[in-house]
Amino acid sequence: MPERPADHPRNTAGTDFADVVRRHQSMVYSIAQHFLADRPAAEELAQDVFLQLHATLAKLKSEEHVKFWLRKVTAHRCVDYQRRRRLPQVSLEDAPEPATEAQTSDPLVAKRLRQLVASLPEKQRMVVILRYQEDMMPEDIADVLTMPVATVKSHLQRALAMLREKVTRVLGEVAI
Amino acid sequence: MSELNKDTNPLDDALKNALRREDAPDGFAERVLARAAQQESVPRKKEWAPWPGMWSQPLLRWGAFAAVTAALVVGAVHYRHVERERAQGEEAKQQLMLALRIAGSKLQLAKAKVNEINQPATDGQPSLKRPSITQSRSRS
Repeated sequence: MPERPADHPRNTAGTDFADVVRRHQSMVYSIAQHFLADRPAAEELAQDVFLQLHATLAKLKSEEHVKFWLRKVTAHRCVDYQRRRRLPQVSLEDAPEPATEAQTSDPLVAKRLRQLVASLPEKQRMVVILRYQEDMMPEDIADVLTMPVATVKSHLQRALAMLREKVTRVLGEVAI
Repeated sequence: MSELNKDTNPLDDALKNALRREDAPDGFAERVLARAAQQESVPRKKEWAPWPGMWSQPLLRWGAFAAVTAALVVGAVHYRHVERERAQGEEAKQQLMLALRIAGSKLQLAKAKVNEINQPATDGQPSLKRPSITQSRSRS
């Protein structure tokens, strides 16, 4: 077993910071990447989230608590980052017309779908990411985003309706 | 969600597939740990505790409490001293006024006496008042 740096903080359940980073790096990075659609920005944001965790880890009580904290902080940082930088949203009109093979090729459909998700309004986008990337229920999403469950459901329904319409327009019914 | 799931299954599946977790870039964890270590090695500027944290130190808390109490006591003593001086001044003023009133009444009395003596004699007694120039001229 590799030697761990002795000075890394642990949470109250005794989990080491390095372990937490390795276990949750994919989750945090993916939320940021799917939200921002910008790899360098997503990595920078994910690093900042873990550095904030480094200062807070000792106060977190359990693995679940750490996971909840990471999702919450990542989600809020993503929204803040986008507002601060005023990142241009990927607009559907700007997206090039799909190639014919896009309708039959899964990776390309997935890529186009990610672009469509990135074109959603901030809150709807984050709700969709937490729902489909993290497989979270609306009640859990409501806790993470500090909003009522009814609002989460409404965001989700609107986002899905919008995506369905865009998907039909861009990819056609055959694609999904 | 069941309502959602009923009519969005194909889209749900497509979204789950499109939004699968991605691996973090190579060396991500190492970069985070390096930054964390760097952050720890930088001497913290926390020698002077921030405002809310300062009050968590018992010595400082008691010191501040003692200072405030001392300031209140000194203020109260000073206020009482000033008040006493003001009262004494007021009393002295009253006494002076009384003395002036007494002196004034004595003067009035003396003046009245003088006037009484200087009145022309109507009952055959000589008046001490010297005759005026106009009176002596008319007599001559």
